[in-house]
Amino acid sequence: MILALYLALSEKLLRALVSGLLLGAMQDSFSGTTLGLYVSVFLLIILSVHLLSDHFNTESKPLLVLLIAVATVLQNLLLVFFLALFADYAPPSHVILFAIPQQLLTNTFFATVMLLLLLRCQQFLGNRSGLAGLMYQSKRHVS
Amino acid sequence: MRDLLIRYRFLLLAIVLMLSSVILYSYNLRQKDSTTFFERSILTFSAPFQVGIDGVADFSKSIWNDYFWLVDTRQLNIELNKQNQLLHAQLHQVEEVALQNDRLRQLLAFVDALDHPALPAQVIGEDSSTWARTIVIDKGADAGLKNGFPVVAAQGVVGRIIKVAAKSSRVLLISDSSSDVAALIQRTRTRGIAHGLGENLSIKYASRNADIKVGDLLVTSGMGGVFPKGLPLGVINSVEKQQFGFFQQVEVSPSVNFSYLEEVMVMIEVDK
Repeated sequence: MILALYLALSEKLLRALVSGLLLGAMQDSFSGTTLGLYVSVFLLIILSVHLLSDHFNTESKPLLVLLIAVATVLQNLLLVFFLALFADYAPPSHVILFAIPQQLLTNTFFATVMLLLLLRCQQFLGNRSGLAGLMYQSKRHVS
Repeated sequence: MRDLLIRYRFLLLAIVLMLSSVILYSYNLRQKDSTTFFERSILTFSAPFQVGIDGVADFSKSIWNDYFWLVDTRQLNIELNKQNQLLHAQLHQVEEVALQNDRLRQLLAFVDALDHPALPAQVIGEDSSTWARTIVIDKGADAGLKNGFPVVAAQGVVGRIIKVAAKSSRVLLISDSSSDVAALIQRTRTRGIAHGLGENLSIKYASRNADIKVGDLLVTSGMGGVFPKGLPLGVINSVEKQQFGFFQQVEVSPSVNFSYLEEVMVMIEVDK
């Protein structure tokens, strides 16, 4: 999920969508019973974030972490929605909703750590255009 | 005569002493069990000295052995520590093998009782999401597995295969929300559908008037065509009857603890 969000912020829409599709298909292969559920969820998240990112300062680290938290909740709500709409069985809403706090904690913690590490390691990795969350690195940054 | 005595006085004294000692010896040979006053006195007098001398000797010996005579002891210690660690690791390995052996014995006994051919498999993965309940096993199409094959453990039903790759398969657990298994209460033969709730199961379509009690065993009914009849699914842990409605709400704890599942058996031929 963090990776999907990262793609939405850093890549062009088409590349982000194709990558999101692959990511979703991989996630579907490792969980659940049906291929396509996470594909749909990831694509929707990437689309939403891509559209909204023009209105936010995506270089802000706290905002990025907040965005990941919101996306985590959104992902679970979308899962419930798609399962309720398409699955031939009642969605395990209670299981999904009860797991949200744990997922929120895990995702925000690891996102923070990764962001800090990425910023620290940036000087060793070299510059790359379009890295989300890094000051003066985004493709949207106009110098 | 006097001169003779004076001349040979030492020789005579020696002979007298010799004779005395022989007589004393001869006398004491018959008194083996008694201690003479002389012996007693000597032993009493010398005992503290002997203790002291012995203590000093022991102390000196221990100093020598424990502090000075330590050639190669450090090396020996290192080697013994290594050996100890190796033996500990082997012991843990043996314990693990013994535990696995016990589990496999139980599993085999369970499958033998079913009288169906089965293939053992190891659990190698779990579902990556929080809401779906599936596991991955290390046997696939190469081993002859197909979709729909039932998977069991020694305690009861695990689930059924839903996706098959060459060397692995995904198993849908009976606790998954999309899982339904035809079931019946063993005691009363009341039929129902065991439906997954994530952690536990519920019985769908359990008639309001059906006799279902907490502690009853839920087994497969064999009606679904997937699982053979009589396999344990779980134990009833709560029964609720609403004021209105045709059915009662029954919750079941699965017989198998899916969190600790390591080995399973895939039933490769099931009578349908």
